[in-house]
Amino acid sequence: MRQGFRQSMAWLHTWSGLVVGWVLFAVFVTGAASYYRAEISEWMRPELQTGAPIDAGRAADLAADYLRAKAPAAQGWFIGLPQPDKPVTELYWWNDLVSPLQHALLDPRTGAPSPARDTQGGDFLYRFHFELNMPPLWGRWIVGLCAMVLLVALVSGIVTHRRIFADFFTFRRRKSLQRGWLDAHNVTGVLALPFHLMIAYTGIVTLAPMYVPWGITAAFKGDETRFFVEAGLSPEVRLPVGKPGSIVSLAPLVATAQARVSEPLEHVAVYNPGDAAATIVTIFEEPKGLAHLHPQIAFDGATGAELGTTGLVRPATRISAAFVGLHEAHFAGPALRALFFLCGLMGAAAIASGLILWSVARLPKAGERPGLGFRLVRALNVGAVAGLPVGLAAYFLANRLLPVGVAGRADLEVRIFFGAWAAIALAALLRPHLRAWREALGLASLLFLAIPVVSALTTGAQAFDGAARFLGFDAAMLATGLLLAFAASEAGRTRPPRRAEPAVPAGRPAQRAAGTPQARSAAPAPARRRA
Amino acid sequence: MTPIVLALNFALSFAGLAALALSLDRHHRDAFLSRPPKARARGLRVAGWAGILLSLAASVALEGWNFGPVQWIGALTGASLLVVALLSYRPGWLRPAALAALPLALIALPFALRG
Repeated sequence: MRQGFRQSMAWLHTWSGLVVGWVLFAVFVTGAASYYRAEISEWMRPELQTGAPIDAGRAADLAADYLRAKAPAAQGWFIGLPQPDKPVTELYWWNDLVSPLQHALLDPRTGAPSPARDTQGGDFLYRFHFELNMPPLWGRWIVGLCAMVLLVALVSGIVTHRRIFADFFTFRRRKSLQRGWLDAHNVTGVLALPFHLMIAYTGIVTLAPMYVPWGITAAFKGDETRFFVEAGLSPEVRLPVGKPGSIVSLAPLVATAQARVSEPLEHVAVYNPGDAAATIVTIFEEPKGLAHLHPQIAFDGATGAELGTTGLVRPATRISAAFVGLHEAHFAGPALRALFFLCGLMGAAAIASGLILWSVARLPKAGERPGLGFRLVRALNVGAVAGLPVGLAAYFLANRLLPVGVAGRADLEVRIFFGAWAAIALAALLRPHLRAWREALGLASLLFLAIPVVSALTTGAQAFDGAARFLGFDAAMLATGLLLAFAASEAGRTRPPRRAEPAVPAGRPAQRAAGTPQARSAAPAPARRRA
Repeated sequence: MTPIVLALNFALSFAGLAALALSLDRHHRDAFLSRPPKARARGLRVAGWAGILLSLAASVALEGWNFGPVQWIGALTGASLLVVALLSYRPGWLRPAALAALPLALIALPFALRG
C-alpha cells in the first residue's frame, strides 16, 4: 500500500500539532495579551496616576541614588525612565550573569519605593509568552522548539488541506460535530495564515542567535558583545578596569541625549557603576518604522564624555530587526494592533479546534471503552484550553483582592494563576468530559465578568476619576466573559442543532464524516454520558 | 492617518471578499438559495479581486511599502473573518453589508487622502 504525499503530510500535521498544541495554545494567548502589555500593567497598578509631566533627568538621578545605596557593586543597572503612560521608574540590576535579575519600582518624583501594589503586571504574561515562567534558557528553548514544530505543522497543514480555496469561507457549524470542528480549524488557520506564518517565523528569528549561536561564536571567537557592537545593535561598552570610581550625575546626560534624538528616551543603562571605567548608555524608543532598532548613545561614566552612538545598520541587521519589529508590532496604531490581537486569538482558536478535532475524530463507537491515551488527551485539552482563561481571570482578580501590603504579593499573584489553572486541569481528569468543558468555560466566563465589578468595588473612586481610565480594559474583560459564556453554552453539545438540511448528494465527504457522531448520538443515554 | 486608511482598507477588502464568497456555488446558495449563473459568478469573481487589489493599492499608496502590505493583510484577515461569520450566522446579510461597505469606502477616501 503506497502512502501518498498528502497522507503522510496529514499524519505529520496531526501528530506534530498534538504534541506542541497545549504549549502553543498558552503561548498564543499570552502573546496576544502581550500586545496590550502596557495597558495590563497600568490596570494592575491602579495607584499610579498617569498624565502629569515628570522630569526624566531628576528621576534618573533619584534612581542612581537608590541603586548606589542598594547595589553599589552591581555589574549593571537598568533604569526604565517614567513615561506619560507609565509614571514610575522601573529598576533592574544584576550582580552577575547567573543569579536572577533584581527589580524595584520607584516613585519618579521622590525616589522612594513606589506606592503601587507589588505585581508583575503585563510583564508576567509577556515573559510567559516566551519563557513559560521557567528558567529563561529552558523556557526559551522549549518555546523555540514548539515554534519550529509550529512551522512544520503550518506547512504540512497547507498541504493537507485539499480544498483551501473552495472552502476558504466555509464554516458548516450545523453539519456534523467533526465537520464543524474541521471547518473551524480550517477557517481560523487559513484566514489568518499570513499572520501565523509570519509570527512563527519571526518568533524563531527573534531568538535565533540563541538557538544557533555557532556562526557568531566562530566569527567573533566567542566574543558575542563584539558581534552586537559591529552589527550596530549596541554601542561599545568598556570592560571594568578594577579601580573604584563613581559616576557623574545622570540628569545632564539625559538632557544631552534628549536634545540629540527626537524619539522618547526609555532607558538608561549603567555598566560597572562602581568602576572607574563605567559606561552609561541612553536607549531610545525605536523610530516609526518596521525595524525594531533602538537608537543609543554611550557616555563615559566618570566624565560624562560621549563615547559613541549606534551607527547605521547594514541590510542584514535591518531585515532581522524588521522581523522582530513585525513580531512585536510596536509600530501598529490602536486599530492595527487590535487586528494583530485578533489574529493571535485566531491562532489560539486554530490550535484549540485542532486539539479538539483530534479527539472528536477518534471518538470511540457506542459501547466501546475509550482508551487511556484518548481520555488523557481529552482531559489535557480541557486543562490547557479552558484552564488557561480561568488562570488568567484568577490572576487579574488576585491583583484586586489580595491585600496591598501582603509580603511576596507579586509571587502570590503568579501562584494563584498557576494554582487556578492546575485545579481546572485536575478537575478535568475527574469530571465527565463534556461537563468538564461546560463547567470550566462557565467558570472562566463568570470570573471574567466579575473582574470589572470587583475592580470597581476595590479601587473605588480611583477607577472613575480622570477620563474613565479603565473603561477599555473593563470592556475587554466583559467581552471575554461573554465569549467564554457562548463557548460554554456551545460546548457540551453532542450534536448539531436540528435544521432542515438541503439534501447532500451521496458520497460527498461531508456525509461520510457525518456518519460517526450521528450514530453515536443515537446510542443509549448511559453510553453517551460516559463519553 | 492610519485608522481611517485601515477603515478604507477594511471596507474594500470586505466588499471584495464578500463578492468572491458569493461567486462560489455553496455560498451563493446560502445567501440566495440558488447557484449563480455562470456570467454572474464570473462578474462577482472579477469584482472580488478588484476590491482586494484596490485595497492593496490604497494601503500602499497611503501607507507606503513599509506598512501598507502589513495593514492590507491585517484588514483582509479581519474582513474575511466577518464574511465567514455572516455566512454562517446571517447569510442573507452578506450582500447588503458588502454593498454598504462600498459607499463607506468612498466616504473614507477623502479623509484618508487628506490625513
